[in-house]
Amino acid sequence: MKTTTRPYLLLAACGIMLAGSAAADEFTKADLDRWQAEYQASVDKGEKLFHGGLKSKNTVSCDQCHPNATNIHPETYPKFQQQLGKVVVLGEMINWCIMNPLESEPLALDDPDMVDLQSYIHWERRGVALEPGKH
Amino acid sequence: MKLPGQWLTAAAFLAVGASVSAAPLGLPPVPVPADNPQTPAKIKLGDRLFHDKRFSADGKVSCSTCHDKTKAFTDHLPVSKGFNGLTGTRNAPTVINSAYMKTLFWDGREPDLEGQSKQPPVNPVEGGLHDHKPILKTIRGDREYTAAFSEVFDVAPEAISMDHVAKAIASFERTVVSGDSPFDRYQYGGDKTALSEAQVRGLELYRNKARCVSCHTIEATQAIFTDNRFHNIGIGFKKIRGQEEQTAEEFVRSKRAGADVDKTVLTNANVSELGRFAVTENPTQVGAFKTSTLRNIAVTQPYMHDGSLKTLADVVDFYNNGGRLKETDPLSAFQSGGIRPLHLTDQEKQDLVAFLESLTSPQFKPQAGK
Amino acid sequence: MSKSLNRREFLKRGSALLAAGSLPLSLVEVAFGKNSPENFTFAYVSDSHITHVKGKEFVRNWDRGLIRAIAETNLLDPRPDFVFYGGDIAQLGKREEIDHGLEILSALRGDVHYVMGEHDYYLDLGDYWRKQLGPDHYSFDHKGVHFVVLNSILTFDEWTHDKWPSAEERMHQMARLDNPQGSPFMVGQAQRDWLKKDLDKISKDTPLVVLSHSPLQKIYKGWNFWTDDAEQVQALLKPFNKVSVLYGHVHQIQYNQIGNISFNSAMATAWPWPYPASYKQAASYMPKLTVDMNRANPFFERDATGWQFINTHTGNVDVHYLLPDNTNRVVAYDRKAGHPVDSEYQAAEDRIPPQTHY
Repeated sequence: MKTTTRPYLLLAACGIMLAGSAAADEFTKADLDRWQAEYQASVDKGEKLFHGGLKSKNTVSCDQCHPNATNIHPETYPKFQQQLGKVVVLGEMINWCIMNPLESEPLALDDPDMVDLQSYIHWERRGVALEPGKH
Repeated sequence: MKLPGQWLTAAAFLAVGASVSAAPLGLPPVPVPADNPQTPAKIKLGDRLFHDKRFSADGKVSCSTCHDKTKAFTDHLPVSKGFNGLTGTRNAPTVINSAYMKTLFWDGREPDLEGQSKQPPVNPVEGGLHDHKPILKTIRGDREYTAAFSEVFDVAPEAISMDHVAKAIASFERTVVSGDSPFDRYQYGGDKTALSEAQVRGLELYRNKARCVSCHTIEATQAIFTDNRFHNIGIGFKKIRGQEEQTAEEFVRSKRAGADVDKTVLTNANVSELGRFAVTENPTQVGAFKTSTLRNIAVTQPYMHDGSLKTLADVVDFYNNGGRLKETDPLSAFQSGGIRPLHLTDQEKQDLVAFLESLTSPQFKPQAGK
Repeated sequence: MSKSLNRREFLKRGSALLAAGSLPLSLVEVAFGKNSPENFTFAYVSDSHITHVKGKEFVRNWDRGLIRAIAETNLLDPRPDFVFYGGDIAQLGKREEIDHGLEILSALRGDVHYVMGEHDYYLDLGDYWRKQLGPDHYSFDHKGVHFVVLNSILTFDEWTHDKWPSAEERMHQMARLDNPQGSPFMVGQAQRDWLKKDLDKISKDTPLVVLSHSPLQKIYKGWNFWTDDAEQVQALLKPFNKVSVLYGHVHQIQYNQIGNISFNSAMATAWPWPYPASYKQAASYMPKLTVDMNRANPFFERDATGWQFINTHTGNVDVHYLLPDNTNRVVAYDRKAGHPVDSEYQAAEDRIPPQTHY
């Protein structure tokens, strides 16, 4: 974690210095663009993982069943996933797919690959209202 | 109110005349049909009918012969023994919690308990009667029965019908409800000490790697451990391997010609393996059988529709090999999707069995390991 | 077993069974009708996507889908006259995949007519497929119906020949459904010319059944639920009284009516696809007529997959969808309405919650 957060903190510090006397809780349009770009980099990585980039033991990839990450419904999590018998977050369902259709090893819920996958999945679903719990 | 002591707990929850009754920890309210409300007198009558051996060709077979409460309402035989020791093709499922089933029999050929109980007395390898007349004759000639039917259904002796008999038996069966297992106390009762560490690991496997929960449903507030659906998991396939088409075709033709499904599936070993198909003639349901509940599974051995698996360890091995005893055995072409090798380790298999043993309700605990 | 007994059985039980979602095999016989000797059924299996992993290993899930569809198809009694395979035997066009798929398909009883899918084509431009199965477009007559098979998954020459460093890369690109680098499917001028000549030979009252892999209508370009020259092909079919187009590729239930042409899709035996409308970042054009299939439950691997048998008893087609772990569907041509109608769910008030995709 440390190694990944440090450059980010440095960047943020530079941003504040460049902005001169701005208070710590203020930020510029440039900040927003840069932060969005940081997120988009995760989306891009997730898009590749989703389309065959995951180490899938049987070569099956997420997009085979979910073109453009459809039919995942990230806006409905957490929800009671009847087939897992409990209320789960999206990452748990992603792991189910990795373990079953992909016949591969699940990811830790905070694994960077898991984060990137969710970045992509959410991005393809942007603009859809939250409906937690919806089946 | 005189009820068998064992069932006092469940019966005490009865909300007489209501559409549902409350239930033990871990179970939803018992669904009760509007036209057959629970009453203490009806339950008592049903209890007596359930245990009456006169309703069979040799006077030795009652419902309780194959659904014996000292054996967790099963008979612990691979396939049941009917009159004159005749055997059928199917393992007797437990009556416990059958009140939650949306269809009855392994192939779901009856929609409710009322319909189910009429069949075995007239099956040629179960009760062995030609029709229901001897049952009604016995009842009408028994003063205690006629008094009870009069009280419960307000009928004269000559007006007593099999519908009345079936309703009373079903009402009794709806009191054979049991939850409150260690799993229930852990999951729904907040007692985190109710399960051992191995059982907790087993529960996690049950939900994830071992995929049990896909069909043996657990919900957030209750668990009936069945999806009430039909799946071909591979049991019995060897018996009709290569003969599926011929068996299906011959069966459909004989059904068209008037053959009785109940009799045919219990007397013809090959037709029995067609499972749900024999009822629906749906090609997608060849070899599909109803998901059984897992409550009290440790005391309702042997397992599967043909009773072919003796222990829970055998069952776990069977699923672990993708629906076969050995990983090299052939697979049925009709096998349901979702049944596939699970790659469980020996430890994981043991944990899973340990978890399944946590599903035994207190009143059946003494029977465990028998 | 006489026909009259079947009819009586059917009249007595048929509607109840259909309501329960099951399909009595006797339905086939009943629908033949004794006065119409030209009526017949055929089975329609599609999109198996057999995937080679390594050595002798193939993706189990897709293998099992095809194996099961074939076993179920073999139960039809009486036998369908023949079987159509709607394309995409293979996932990446590999010989191993086509060979393995054909080995599984060899269990099918009866003749099989094959349609080319893009997954069969874009590795070697269909060479191995054609070597095993013959031409990718052809026609034949059967009991008064003219059948035409088209290869509808061709695309621009530039995309096919100049854009990719290797055949494998080209195949991978086309195999990705949601590929922004993809290219629209088309039948192409050469086949359209052939089709015109083929159709010139037959009278306009001959029932016509056309099979293609992609829909010969435009639904959503982003996933190639689309054929770029669909209108030109439709124009060639327009003079005929009864035309049915059957297509695979979409892995879902779709049906439509455009003028005289009925459209019906096939389910995949491998996996289902979401409806394009569930992708919120782009517009799509799902036929309003279509009542969606039930949303898939991935925990039952065969859910929302399946196969079809097709009854041609009116010269139009009735499509019976056989769906393991789900309720079977029947989409039959309705003469009065002049378009295909779902036998149970067509009216908005008859639809069920799993048919709502979002």
